[in-house]
Amino acid sequence: MSFSIAYVAFRGVRQTKSSSLLRLATAFVFLGFGFLVEGLVGLSLVIPAVGLTATEVVVGGLLLETTGYFFLAFSHAIDVVMSKRAGAALLVFPVITLSGTQLANVLSILSFYFVLYGVVETLYSYARTRKPDTLLIALGLSLIGVGTFFQWLSLLYLQVDVLLLLQIILQEMGLLILFTPVLRFAVGGTKIDGPV
Amino acid sequence: MAQYRTQVRIIADVLSTARDANIEGTGVGVTTLLRKGNMSYTRMSKLLSELVGSGLLLELNGEKISKYMISEKGIQFLAAYYSFEDFAQSFGLRL
Repeated sequence: MSFSIAYVAFRGVRQTKSSSLLRLATAFVFLGFGFLVEGLVGLSLVIPAVGLTATEVVVGGLLLETTGYFFLAFSHAIDVVMSKRAGAALLVFPVITLSGTQLANVLSILSFYFVLYGVVETLYSYARTRKPDTLLIALGLSLIGVGTFFQWLSLLYLQVDVLLLLQIILQEMGLLILFTPVLRFAVGGTKIDGPV
Repeated sequence: MAQYRTQVRIIADVLSTARDANIEGTGVGVTTLLRKGNMSYTRMSKLLSELVGSGLLLELNGEKISKYMISEKGIQFLAAYYSFEDFAQSFGLRL
């Protein structure tokens, strides 16, 4: 789903040369690879032969995800600069990043803040455009955000399996919602082949 | 509050003016494009040269002044622009 969103966004970049779409596409490429690594790590817990449980791999996956969320937030940050107003959510950025002792924890909480920032900015955009799709995306991002929060908790409380399950369910639901505009493209039959 | 217009948005505005204001089918003058495009003459002249060069606009040379008409490629660009603008807006972004 992440790669599909990135694909449509890249098509948009080719046709309109839009930097907003480029950042969106980059975000979902990173997220896609991050989810892929996370999925393979999860798979190796079920099938040990996969052998991808090393901390470096887990942290690598989280780093990819965090970078993706950063680009997602960054797109909104640029939008904020362009509209010459301060992004209120930006104020909460640096608070918790200093308290983390482990890299994985820091990356998880950073991801949470990036997504939170994305949610607030998407809600601002909804207030401006009153477009139902935007509200839907804010809901999707919220679910991913809560999922990321559970991911952080699951790193703190390793023995509580339900946290990991909740994280996967919430992030899957959130991604499914983010996929809606792509589905609209497919159903609407929008011609997106070749640069104009 | 006035909103910052990106380059692609300015191009879309000029192209849509060239399409919508061309009621008689004889093209649109620079004055009309300037009035609707809300930019300086120098900047508009440069942009028009680029748009004609890239095939998005057609330049119709009259006796005194040049007029501009949107091309088929320009119409395709506008259609793509509006589609992707809708896509970007869904994510709370602007093109």
